[in-house]
Amino acid sequence: MDTMDKNYILAKWLNDELTASELADFKASDDFAVYEKIKNYSSRLEVADFDEEKTLENILKHKKTNPKVIPLYRKWFINIAALLIIALGITFVMQNYSSEIQYAENGEKNTFLLPDQSEVVLNAGSEIEYKKWNWNTNRNLKLQGEAYFKVAKGKKFEVSTNLGKVTVLGTQFNVKARKNRFDVTCFEGRVKVNYKDSEIILTHGQSVSFEDGKQRNIIVETEKPEWLENKMAFDKETLNHIADEIQRQYNVIIEIKAKNTNALFTGKVPTDNLDAALQIIATTYNLKYKKPATNKIIFEEK
Amino acid sequence: MTNTSKTNTCNEIVFSTFFKNQAKSLRNFLFYKYGNKDEADDLVQEAFIKLWQNCSAVPLEKAKSYIYTIANNSSLNVIAHQKVVLQYEKNFSGFDKTNENPEFILEEKQFENKLLKAIENLNETQRVAFLMHRIDGKKYSEIADELNISVKAVEKRIHLALLELRKEIDNLK
Repeated sequence: MDTMDKNYILAKWLNDELTASELADFKASDDFAVYEKIKNYSSRLEVADFDEEKTLENILKHKKTNPKVIPLYRKWFINIAALLIIALGITFVMQNYSSEIQYAENGEKNTFLLPDQSEVVLNAGSEIEYKKWNWNTNRNLKLQGEAYFKVAKGKKFEVSTNLGKVTVLGTQFNVKARKNRFDVTCFEGRVKVNYKDSEIILTHGQSVSFEDGKQRNIIVETEKPEWLENKMAFDKETLNHIADEIQRQYNVIIEIKAKNTNALFTGKVPTDNLDAALQIIATTYNLKYKKPATNKIIFEEK
Repeated sequence: MTNTSKTNTCNEIVFSTFFKNQAKSLRNFLFYKYGNKDEADDLVQEAFIKLWQNCSAVPLEKAKSYIYTIANNSSLNVIAHQKVVLQYEKNFSGFDKTNENPEFILEEKQFENKLLKAIENLNETQRVAFLMHRIDGKKYSEIADELNISVKAVEKRIHLALLELRKEIDNLK
């Protein structure tokens, strides 16, 4: 055996790592017998026993001097507390900052209070979106459809629609934004209406109606919008417009199979009696109607 | 939020299990080094006391190198080196029990003594590595880990130990 052997073949052999041919070579050498004996006998050596139990007992008697145990525990606690606070915070923000949406389906009305106790009545087929967060200083809501507002005193109150904007200070008013028709009626106080480039101030009893850029001023004599008392009021409306309104109020589908329907209607139609409403329309336009299904109505020429 | 969940050795069950896995081999290592059993026992106790006291700062996976480092450092000055006195297992009486030739038995006994003597005479590094393998049955990689050297260095020490032992046994008449 080469003393300078860099492969440390003896160590490899002792650890049973030699290849078969290396092992065969080694076994053939003169020294093998002695090494084999060293290997065997050294495997039967032992050291005097060590009293583990007693030593462990001695060790555990010592106090843990390092007080870091408590900070670690406290850190845990702080982490959990922080998580809880963040979770609560997110929930709070989500509840208040995220938009609140109120609906009235076709055939329904929905009355609700805003955070400042302002009263809103949503007419059928309408929707309002607003944020609870910071409501008292930022009274701003989005309206699709028609709603009546009885606004509590406070800062500027703004109703945005896709057609125009209504700004008020403590008042009662109605806003209707449907298709290309934008109607605002003021029942109490003052209302500022913005429609495209024009700005109009309404006081109680005044109403304004915009349709395709045309403005129409109307005087209203009622205290509240008629729809709150289950009536639809029309002032020189087309049959199509009236049919739309009936569809929303009664949640029905109306088909008009008539040509001569250009006359304008002024009057009131009930929202709680479909047959009466249909009869009024039929008589006015000299038509007849039939109901092929419960929620389907067809007007035709007589 | 980092590292707070890592296991440290503060839990008594974790600590005790770790102690039972490591204490004997640390004690043996110190004994192979200095030959002084009582000192080795004390050093083990000291090293584990330090670990227990600083448990919160030592994650379980670092605990082993921690105790070996402590034991090594604190032993540098204190220990008076003694001869490493080993013994054979109590129920061990040679390998070839069929051969009852008195001369053969005597020769075997002589070899046993020569081997003990030769191991005593090995230099410290070779003896420690060799005995960790032979008595504690450790893999070279484990020995390398505990001595903080490479596996190659362990192989070298073992290889040299075997060469030395064989030479000594020849010389001891």
